Amino acid sequence: MTRLPAPEPQLAEETEEIGDRVLVRRAQQEDMRAYDLLVRRYQERVYATVYHMTSNHEDANDLTQETFIKAFRALKSFKGDSSFYTWIYRIAVNKTINFLKQRKNRVLMSLNDVDFNAENDPDLVALVSDKNPRRDLNLSELQEKLNDAMQKLSEHHRMVVTLHDVQGLSHEEIGKIMDCNIGTVRSRLFYARQQMQAYLSDYLK
Amino acid sequence: MNSDPGDFDSLLKLMALKRHEQPPPGYFNRLPGKILDRIERGEGQPRFWEKFVTTFAFRPAMAYASVLAAFSALTFSVIYSVKTQPQDSAQNLFKNSWRTGGSDAAYASQLSGFEPLHVINWMGNTNSSNAEPALPSLFDANPRDRNLLVAPVSFASPP
Repeated sequence: MTRLPAPEPQLAEETEEIGDRVLVRRAQQEDMRAYDLLVRRYQERVYATVYHMTSNHEDANDLTQETFIKAFRALKSFKGDSSFYTWIYRIAVNKTINFLKQRKNRVLMSLNDVDFNAENDPDLVALVSDKNPRRDLNLSELQEKLNDAMQKLSEHHRMVVTLHDVQGLSHEEIGKIMDCNIGTVRSRLFYARQQMQAYLSDYLK
Repeated sequence: MNSDPGDFDSLLKLMALKRHEQPPPGYFNRLPGKILDRIERGEGQPRFWEKFVTTFAFRPAMAYASVLAAFSALTFSVIYSVKTQPQDSAQNLFKNSWRTGGSDAAYASQLSGFEPLHVINWMGNTNSSNAEPALPSLFDANPRDRNLLVAPVSFASPP
């Protein structure tokens, strides 16, 4: 196993051009530098998926690491039938759903801070403006209510909302990741949004 | 409040807040190093049974072949045991037939096709028509007959 230091920023930019297939092939030959690049490429998306599902930074941290470790161990069996992106997402989704099933209803939220850009987001500003019936609510309280509402959804409904409404994946991509057809994705999304709207009715104009 | 159940504009605007939730600064710079360290320490190595399951999960043909082989072995063992069992039981019946009289031995002979030991009328049968033919006496045998497993005994004192 060849362990090399993290790539220099310039090298990282160059390697952006290298496709996933090449990196996967190199990583399959235990080239750790190639796998490091794959991790850097997908870590934010994998972390975000797990974090929005668990509403807990520590759990998301553990599950993200385990996802990439498991992916590395299983990399030799990856035949490239789907993209690496879909494959790694699938591992993350399955790991997260299994984790949530074991955790059952014991929700312990450990939320990340909202970045300073949120205060300048016009849509969010509008939500906490004077027109809002709960105008005393600040962003962090709204964040907590939103996460609370998401945790009330079933794992599969929460996953669809996370992948589509938070991460912006298409129905087709979600279908591939969750191994279901587009109709199922659409119906889950509609139902989940209805539920969320009902839970958050006091905070929506 | 949003009254239309199919209109999710306000909800989607609120959901945008989730995209602003960020882990501590520098988190994503440290994460790859932690992952690679754990890989190098050998974490996540599949155990023997996990390798076994993974092999079958990714090679369905091998799984089918193994199941077929196991099923064939099971079928063969069942058939073999069914074939051999009556002989064994019949032979056991012969061995114990002296306890139960001749009827069991006769029944066992019907099952197996073997000639029963001569115990059918050992208690003494008064019906001469059912009497077994007498066995040739050893005293009538020719001592030169090589097939005879009886050697003549000499009582002469050794020289």
